[in-house]
Amino acid sequence: MATERAATIPCDDSSEVTREDRLALFRLVLLHRLIEERVGLLYRQGRVSGSVYTGRGQEAVGAAAGYALGPDDVCAPLNRELACHLARGVTPTEAFRNFLGKGDSPTRGRDGNMHFGAREHGVFPLVSMLGDLCPVVVGAALAFKRRREPRVALTFCGDGAMSTGDVHEGLNLAAVLKVPAVFVLQSNGWAYSTPTSRQMMNTCLADRVEGGWGIPAARVDGSDAVLTLVELRAAVERARSGAGPQAVEAVTLRLDGHAAHDDGSYMDQAERTEYAEKRDPVERLAARLRLDGLSEGELEALRTAAADEVSAGLQEAEASPAPDPATILDGVYATKLT
Amino acid sequence: MAEVTYLEAIRTAMADAMRDDERVFLMGEDVGHFGGPFGVSKGLLDEFGAERVIDTPIAEEGFVGAAFGAAWMGERPIAELQFADFISCAFDSIVTVGAKTHWRSGIKLPVVIRSPFGGGVRGGPFHASCPEGFFIGTAGLKVVCPGSVEDAYGLLRSAIEDDDPVLYFEHKALYRRLKAEAPESTLRTPIGRACIARPGSDVTVVAYGAMVDIALRAAGALESEASVEVLDLRTVWPLDGEAILASLARTSRVCVLQEASSSIGAAGAVLSLIAREGFELLDAPPLLIAAPIAPVPFAPELEDAYIPSVERVVEELRRLGGY
Repeated sequence: MATERAATIPCDDSSEVTREDRLALFRLVLLHRLIEERVGLLYRQGRVSGSVYTGRGQEAVGAAAGYALGPDDVCAPLNRELACHLARGVTPTEAFRNFLGKGDSPTRGRDGNMHFGAREHGVFPLVSMLGDLCPVVVGAALAFKRRREPRVALTFCGDGAMSTGDVHEGLNLAAVLKVPAVFVLQSNGWAYSTPTSRQMMNTCLADRVEGGWGIPAARVDGSDAVLTLVELRAAVERARSGAGPQAVEAVTLRLDGHAAHDDGSYMDQAERTEYAEKRDPVERLAARLRLDGLSEGELEALRTAAADEVSAGLQEAEASPAPDPATILDGVYATKLT
Repeated sequence: MAEVTYLEAIRTAMADAMRDDERVFLMGEDVGHFGGPFGVSKGLLDEFGAERVIDTPIAEEGFVGAAFGAAWMGERPIAELQFADFISCAFDSIVTVGAKTHWRSGIKLPVVIRSPFGGGVRGGPFHASCPEGFFIGTAGLKVVCPGSVEDAYGLLRSAIEDDDPVLYFEHKALYRRLKAEAPESTLRTPIGRACIARPGSDVTVVAYGAMVDIALRAAGALESEASVEVLDLRTVWPLDGEAILASLARTSRVCVLQEASSSIGAAGAVLSLIAREGFELLDAPPLLIAAPIAPVPFAPELEDAYIPSVERVVEELRRLGGY
């Protein structure tokens, strides 16, 4: 344990990120990690149906993005960004309820795993057709621009989704209409079992977005929560100030397979091990917090607090009622037919 | 009262809605200074400015998706497609984001997608289709096809005020063909309700879009022989089953008339309903008059043979009456 931690590189030392920010990020990445670990167990026990998609290795990106937004901003996280939901105010209980398909889950059992939104927190629900939400956040940002509201809309695009037409149409529309949208480009190396090199020739997403669509794009080590927050805050504030859409490419590695049924055996195992040992986003933040003066005992207490929060959330979610089949038709239409 | 065309009724409905409600705006390709390919939005840029009449890049999936995003934030956008055929480009966003979001999350997406559809203008396979059938049967969507000047106005106003995504298929052959007294600005055509365009007692013709006009002409031609009721569906999804069955109860004979190929359009849903719930009301097998199962052809000789004509409807209704 001690040698592993010694190998971990601490997060960046940027002065604009406070100790309070680092503690908040640490809680988010821990919750993300622990909820997904618990969901994985539930899945293997047959208590979670469908599939489970995790963001292991990428927790810092969603955490930093959700945390960088202001209270009135909106976002559309995808399926490796649980920490973004948590940063926007979604609780572990709500996340568990959705995984368990409960009647009081955010989707009332209509959709599973990471496919949920939170209208009250400005979170749009994920759709499986990755890329579709890129134009949607552009439209939200267009509404802000039309109404002169200093708000920002943010979404994520994986390296796989970068191959879709929707992303091109959305990025282009954002650039032409100069709307306050922020695109977080999740460069995790893999789209299901297809490496980025088989998705595109120019694998630098920031370069593509800046050169191709004229959207300023930074590139950051997405395993470093602090650096990622610095870049995202800058992007969000530039977008808010009227500078048009912004992008941040977060370079990480997807540590798990595409979903629970996929062990990722086709990946470079040495690369996976090295990333897990040296660039694990949770441990990098822990290493940085040690530099802040936190003792092992204090770090352990934070881990325990997060684990307790997750356990309590699961317990509460498990007590929730199953959805009632009589409600299937509810809400198909918002305006009832006359 | 001044007379207006079907096209002017659509334009007026947009302008009136934009005057009444700040949240309403229009976006699409060439809708601004050019006024759209058919001139439907002509003049709107001058009155409402470039922030409410937004020219977009050629990206149907992009701007339809953006319309949903703006609606998420409480706006009430109208997205205009140049031709309904291009709705295939935006299909994913419509059925994935548009149709399922409220049911999954409670987020309302009040978007109107205006699509000029139908033939008779020598548009060929990519500018004259009737793609409404792709969406009929899809939970979460509403699909309307005005067949009169009054409904061109009333359905558009209702669609804009509706909290669900509404696909508004306007028939481009009717743009200047239909003229009527200018509708009152208070007119709203209820979504989900058919209307009797012409009452009758011997046979019901269920029609929508440009086929309503064809049905009315055929009914006129048959006046001395039979009393033909024309039921204008107006909303093709969800269907007004009650109105269809009530008409059938009066006439006992039914013809479904549509411009789309017989394999698609509203016919399947209407005939399924009649088979399930109206079987005992029938004195004759239901008749379907529709385009053949082929793309819309370009050459005048071919297109004229393809789209159901008044003559064909008259002839087939005579056969139905004699069953």
